[in-house]
Amino acid sequence: MASSALQAFLDKLQQLESAFEAAVEEVEDPEELESIRVTYLSRRGSLVQCLSQLKDLPDEDRPEAGKTANRIKQRLQDRFARIQEELQQKRDRARRQDFDPTLPGRSPRTGTLHPVTLVSDEICSIFRSLGYEVVLGPEVETDFYNFEALNIPQDHPARDMQDTLYLSDSIVLRTHTSPLQIRTMQEQSPPLAAVAPGKVYRRDADLTHSPMFNQIEGFLVDRRVSMADLRGTLAHFLRRIFSRDIQVRFRPSFFPFTEPSAEVDISCVICSGKGFSQDGSPCRVCKQTGFVEILGCGMIDPEVFKAVDYDPEEYSGFAFGLGVERVAMLKHGIDDLRLFFDNDLPFLDQFRFYPAT
Amino acid sequence: MYLSLNWLLEFTPYSGSVDELSHALTMLGLEVEEELEAFQSLRDFRVGRVLACRRHPNADNLTLCQVDLGGEQPADIVCGAPNVAAGLSVPVAPPGTELPSGTRVKKTKIRGQPSEGMILSEKELGLGEDESGIMILEDQASPGTPLREALGLADRIFDIGITPNRGDCLSILGIAREVAACYGLPLTMPRTELQEIPPVCTERVDVSVDDGGLCPLYQAKVAEGVSIGTSPAWLRYRLLAMGQRPINSVVDVTNYVMLETGQPLHAFDLDRLAGPAIRVARPQSEREFTTLDGHTRQLSPDDLLIWDAERPIALAGIMGGLDTEVGPGSSRLLLESAVFDPTTIRKTARRLGLSSESSYRFERGVDQIGSGLALYRAAHLIRRLTGAEVLQGVARSAPAPWQPRRIAFRPERARGLLALEATDEFCRATLQGLGCGVEPGENGDWTVTTPSHRHDLFREVDLIEEVARVYGFENTPEELPRVAKSLHGEGKIPEKADDAFQKTVRHWAKGMGLQEVMNYSFVSSADLDALNLPRDSRLELANPLTSEQDTLRPVLAPGLLLSLRLNVDRNSEDLHLFEVARAFQLDRSLETTSRETTLLGIALHGSRNPRNWPWSGETADFLDLKGIVQNLLSTLHLGPEDWVEQTEHPYLDPCAAIRIGQEHLGYAGELSAEAARGYDARHHVWLAELDLDRLQTLARSVDATYAPWSRYPPVFRDMTLVAGPDLAFEKIRRQIEAARSPLLNDFMLLDIYQPRKGDNRNITLRMVYRHPEKTLLAEEVDSEHGELGSHLLRTLPVRFP
Ligand SMILES: [Zn+2]
Repeated sequence: MASSALQAFLDKLQQLESAFEAAVEEVEDPEELESIRVTYLSRRGSLVQCLSQLKDLPDEDRPEAGKTANRIKQRLQDRFARIQEELQQKRDRARRQDFDPTLPGRSPRTGTLHPVTLVSDEICSIFRSLGYEVVLGPEVETDFYNFEALNIPQDHPARDMQDTLYLSDSIVLRTHTSPLQIRTMQEQSPPLAAVAPGKVYRRDADLTHSPMFNQIEGFLVDRRVSMADLRGTLAHFLRRIFSRDIQVRFRPSFFPFTEPSAEVDISCVICSGKGFSQDGSPCRVCKQTGFVEILGCGMIDPEVFKAVDYDPEEYSGFAFGLGVERVAMLKHGIDDLRLFFDNDLPFLDQFRFYPAT
Repeated sequence: MYLSLNWLLEFTPYSGSVDELSHALTMLGLEVEEELEAFQSLRDFRVGRVLACRRHPNADNLTLCQVDLGGEQPADIVCGAPNVAAGLSVPVAPPGTELPSGTRVKKTKIRGQPSEGMILSEKELGLGEDESGIMILEDQASPGTPLREALGLADRIFDIGITPNRGDCLSILGIAREVAACYGLPLTMPRTELQEIPPVCTERVDVSVDDGGLCPLYQAKVAEGVSIGTSPAWLRYRLLAMGQRPINSVVDVTNYVMLETGQPLHAFDLDRLAGPAIRVARPQSEREFTTLDGHTRQLSPDDLLIWDAERPIALAGIMGGLDTEVGPGSSRLLLESAVFDPTTIRKTARRLGLSSESSYRFERGVDQIGSGLALYRAAHLIRRLTGAEVLQGVARSAPAPWQPRRIAFRPERARGLLALEATDEFCRATLQGLGCGVEPGENGDWTVTTPSHRHDLFREVDLIEEVARVYGFENTPEELPRVAKSLHGEGKIPEKADDAFQKTVRHWAKGMGLQEVMNYSFVSSADLDALNLPRDSRLELANPLTSEQDTLRPVLAPGLLLSLRLNVDRNSEDLHLFEVARAFQLDRSLETTSRETTLLGIALHGSRNPRNWPWSGETADFLDLKGIVQNLLSTLHLGPEDWVEQTEHPYLDPCAAIRIGQEHLGYAGELSAEAARGYDARHHVWLAELDLDRLQTLARSVDATYAPWSRYPPVFRDMTLVAGPDLAFEKIRRQIEAARSPLLNDFMLLDIYQPRKGDNRNITLRMVYRHPEKTLLAEEVDSEHGELGSHLLRTLPVRFP
């Protein structure tokens, strides 16, 4: 027969366990569970308090009381661990249920680069990979750099090729990036190779002409440079920027600062050189010819070398120039030049990608 | 320039296809820009034979005709012309066709009678001025024959782009010469044989030239007993096919010969010339002159005139005078064939805005030898067409006769530059084929003399191009050259933001979620006025296209704001834009008078974040803009920078200047409310502009050095200060640094609490204490934190809460 003290101790343990059971039965979330742990199982919790009364029992009751107390303590702890795990599993299940990988991500605003930048970068990268330097220069130019040094004298019909915007009699908005040939050759000595991207200006505005557009001038000067070098360089470049199987056509033309001068056509990238689009209608881009003009080029004229004190007997070189918007229009199928300078968001939004180089 | 293929074939017996010719011309540098059918507007018209005519029952002046159009049934056509009659061959427009005037021909009823088509007059066909009756076809072509065929109008026209150096190709003969050289075909010259009568022309007129530099050659012939009328059909049709309007037999001949030979000609009415004498000279002073188009022109002493004994009679090489123009009553002609200085003609034509077929050719150089040929060709035709008698010889002055140029030519050099296997034999044959004289000399040095029609051959390289042209540019091999470089310029820092730096900035901006725009460099001066930008440093265009684009922008804002307005007006209002471009300011000390600065412009307007869930839609504010700028500076490893409030900025209010040390980098702020209204802004507009040239220079001078850091744990202590609303955060930051606490490793702003605008602010800071060599004890930190607090209370108008 247990002593009454022992009985009271065991009853207390019993009540504690019942209360604990009742509490954990209802538990829903980890905070509640934690407060149950604090109430019952922590250092200052009711279980520890209860166990601390063990020492007040008569000696003969202690072994049994201790055994029972340990059993109950173990039970409570196991129970608690089980509840904790169940709760964790329940929460994991709920989380998995809420997980919807198809919701929109918290994606930051996407920046875009202007298509002229994309294409200009791509062109410059191709030439950089060939060893060309990229040079920039002023957009307001003197008559000397824009015309005279490039063998375009005052009152020469060649000036009609470019309608010029003037600031004064001798100061112009550059009509091409060719002045960079002169500036670069004045600053450096041969051999040299450079490309010069930038804005150029013409007094011309209609569906196919913009008073401002972007050009890239390229030039190479060394001993024994030939037309084959020019043609090879341009063919290589055009195949890289458009496609491997593009056809490149070279035909004579005239530029005051090159001799011989050539115009380069490529097979039309819109109709694949067929002259007609898929539905059989005439191709508007190449006007049925199957070819589109893409750039002008030539061997640097001896007069240009004289203007920068290079000896044309010792050095030869080539130069070329092309319109960036034109390349962008062909590459990305843009059919209206004005789109480039409207900066309409639905247009800009389409150029989220990085240049492919 | 138009090239009629029928005409071309009169000079060289080309027998290949049209397509091949088109390709060959393009490959010779004579680009065929367009291929046209001559008289395309007449393509649907047919020859009809009038079988029977009877009067219209309801109208006296109308005739009912039965017209055979080659079909099974003749067509009923009502005709109003007085000259219609049975048995005639006439041009007919069947129903469904369109007249050159644009009128559609329909099956219809005229006063109750059916009419299936129209019988046409010369005027209705666009073939002449005669509208008195229907056109009567002389050839008895079978009914139903296409009209163009029956009239010999079928022709192919090439529109050829002639480059400015090839004045010699501004004629049918000039292009024929190229075709003949290219295909090794003979070249037949136009007929010039002429029976002349005495006396010699010099009996009738004196010719003198003041300055051979302005007019190296002037030749004239006299024709008498001219009866001027309408040109014969073949001549009119040929002019029409070439896009020229026939006028009268004499003027038509001069135009015809110009198109044929490239030599502009002018016919004066000899009876209206005082003297008669011809003198070529500049005017002594400014004066007026009325050209044959009836306009009175203001002449300058730099122009060149043709004078008779008393007064000017023509603007040399550009247009004749009204007083001496040939008209229907003229009976004696002076026919001029001259060569004028290209530059003089060009200057006058441009100054007067008076460009003619004649001036166009003179500007590009006219052939002295060909000039005589053209004169005889024209005299031959005038005699044939007008029954005139042509006097013997030529009245001429030749102060600077043409001399062939002698050019040294090395075939070896040509092969080197062209990388073509052009043999000596090929070079010689090519140059000779183009009319050059070739004398092979010692050591492969040849002497080449140029023909009179080639004004573009001066140097060896010009001849090399000729060899390449005929050999075919298409045959150039492809090689990729090794790019050699010189040691020049290594490590030099460019003054302007270079391409690589701009690329870094653009890619950074894209990563920041900004969208790149590209605006015109020119805006209207009104745009700059609206932003209160100063007028005295503006760069204005002397000849702007429109007043919308008459001034170069001195900052990027005007362009960015145009982009903003365009998008807001098109209902895109969340704008995070950037632009990298040059801005321009007047600086007379520079050779270009333009100080160009590479700027980065940023504009924010509307929602800070994307509008979609899970973002919330707050509007972007100054701290967004500042954060972006700070992000750039730290990306470039620059800073710390100062943000100094500015009250004087022309269009930003509020505004902060951004500086690093003494270097001014740019501004950031809000577009003033007044300016914002002008750009249709719906939210605050936040603008920043930064000088990329300066940023590049600063960024290049940065040494990025690794710094070791403490591995011992940091200890955090927070501190809240109560401060007045106008205490700049910067002052607190400076005092924290001024306290020089040895243990304070870092600090951050945790929170600002301000119940209402204008109230005091509770500023909560978190201090980070850390020792490089040991773990700090709580007591050490508490004491350090306490000292820092008292330092701040002592030096700033703040208190603890
Ligand atoms: Zn095409």
